Amino acid sequence: MTELTFTTIDQTILDTLKPPDRSYWVTVGILFLGVLTGAACWVYQILTGLGVAGMNIPVAWGTYLINFVFWVGIAHSGTLISAILHLLRAGWRNPIARAAETMTVFAVCIAGLFPFIHLGRVWMVFFMLPVPNQRNLWQNFQSPLMFDVVAISTYLTVSSLFWYTGMLPDLAIIRDRATGVRKKIFKVISLGWTGAHEQWRHYARGYLFFAALATPLVISVHSVVSWDFALGIVPGWHTTIFAPYFVAGAIHSGLAMVLTLMIPIRKIFHYQKIITVKVLENVAKTIIFTGLIVAFSYATEFFMAWYSRNPLEIAIFKYRPTGDYAVGFWIMVICNTMVPLLFFFKRFRTTTLWLFVISIFVNIGMWFERYVIIVSSVSHDFIPHAWGLYSPSIIEFGILIGSFCLFFFLYLLFVKHLPSVSMTEMKEAVGQGASHAD
Amino acid sequence: MPTEYSVMGLFTDENRAISAIEAIKDSPWQLRRVHSPIPSHKILEAMNLKKSKVGWFTLAGGITGFFSGFLLAAFTASQWNLIVGGKPVIALVPFFIVGFEFTILFAIFGNVVGLIHQMQLPEYKGLEEYDPRCSGHHFGVTVSCEADDLEGLKLFFQDKGGEVKVISNGSV
Repeated sequence: MTELTFTTIDQTILDTLKPPDRSYWVTVGILFLGVLTGAACWVYQILTGLGVAGMNIPVAWGTYLINFVFWVGIAHSGTLISAILHLLRAGWRNPIARAAETMTVFAVCIAGLFPFIHLGRVWMVFFMLPVPNQRNLWQNFQSPLMFDVVAISTYLTVSSLFWYTGMLPDLAIIRDRATGVRKKIFKVISLGWTGAHEQWRHYARGYLFFAALATPLVISVHSVVSWDFALGIVPGWHTTIFAPYFVAGAIHSGLAMVLTLMIPIRKIFHYQKIITVKVLENVAKTIIFTGLIVAFSYATEFFMAWYSRNPLEIAIFKYRPTGDYAVGFWIMVICNTMVPLLFFFKRFRTTTLWLFVISIFVNIGMWFERYVIIVSSVSHDFIPHAWGLYSPSIIEFGILIGSFCLFFFLYLLFVKHLPSVSMTEMKEAVGQGASHAD
Repeated sequence: MPTEYSVMGLFTDENRAISAIEAIKDSPWQLRRVHSPIPSHKILEAMNLKKSKVGWFTLAGGITGFFSGFLLAAFTASQWNLIVGGKPVIALVPFFIVGFEFTILFAIFGNVVGLIHQMQLPEYKGLEEYDPRCSGHHFGVTVSCEADDLEGLKLFFQDKGGEVKVISNGSV
């Protein structure tokens, strides 16, 4: 970072906002087609009924809730990087904080769609809102599903406000260098920010509170998501380890997604001096840590099933590695716990190709983790004659693909229209005191 | 005839800006504001500023949030008045979770309201007395002076290694 100055930071990041070439719009167009495919599948499901999905008794929770948990998990590392690492004063977070925060906002939006999709009759969603109504029905806040409504809405609101507040000084930088309509737009959205000492005084304090409040929130949100399962008495779900296990898994998947997004962006936008290999290496080291926690959680689940001598728990934990969903289970174990161990070797955590490939493996593994947890338990619970299998229908695959396309579509629009790296935080990281011009 | 001028000294070096701020404190000129591209603790220390009051807004929001969340859950439960899952109608543990989430939500709302109130944003008139380079790599120290002192102030900024910009003049 010693070669960077304030001017080169601004220039490098502002260059990413120049009008894109045709290949960008072609990619955006392809992703938009994917979004339309997902939307068409959802519309078809609304018109036809939830029966078009593969869910049935006993597996009434399928890919929609798997995707919900997956996307909430992806959303977690954004807050980890922007809030927790901010409080810990970890300087290496600065180049990737904005990208991770943006990932959080988009991932929570997409996660929030899935309960709507899973609902079937989506127009009934207002049943979940505590508003006076003619039926005189009120929500039961003893249900973890209502905890979820509150937690996810809070997380979306807080992460969006955190994201926007953090971007305010950068919006002013763009305003000061833009012309025409763009200047007018950025003038409005930067709220007249001038970087005056009075503004910085309050901003620094307010940002610290944002970070301090987002930290317990991020832990609580995925704990609440885990209680959707853990508070049910289904074998394989009803365990106290679920909250920390889900939080660690969420951060594991989120960090992997940070690598998946940042490595191509780094290459395309020539961010090599800003997002250094050292930064990527630190993310990889954190993935080793979260991967080990996840591995420990997997092992603990098996140990507790054996130690409890509960026949139902023992049955489900024999079923997972050897039963109908064994392929998913072993994908989960290998991708989440073994593949990340390659990061113990410097070569793997300092080569961008390896970092990218391993991050994809972790993403796949974490999706399968949710698949194994959700599906295997309900498909094989108490009474053998009530057991049943589940496989996603083409409509569910369409919506799954649509959700990924929507995420990357929104992300591509973001990186060309707003600063994907925080210029202000990079300038802070470069250091103060020296001359900041070229 | 203008009686007061606002003059901005633009520095590319933070330490020079701080040196100018320190010197202005002992001068007859009035330091009005400092623009910087980064949140500089050194500048804030040099200006002897008090701690921001944003935290009080955050605290008020958090307390309001906890009671709002808890009481909302208690109110909806009391409308049914049925024992569900063996838990009491007003169940402390689950309602505490709702209260916790509302604490964070309202504390953040309080934080945002505090920021808007204290920073006085949105405010677009400030842009008239501002140099766009201050969002790049310049530190702008704005000082007001009497008409007779204008040349002296310009010389002072030049002496400190800054570039001078007269940003406003008018009768006051």
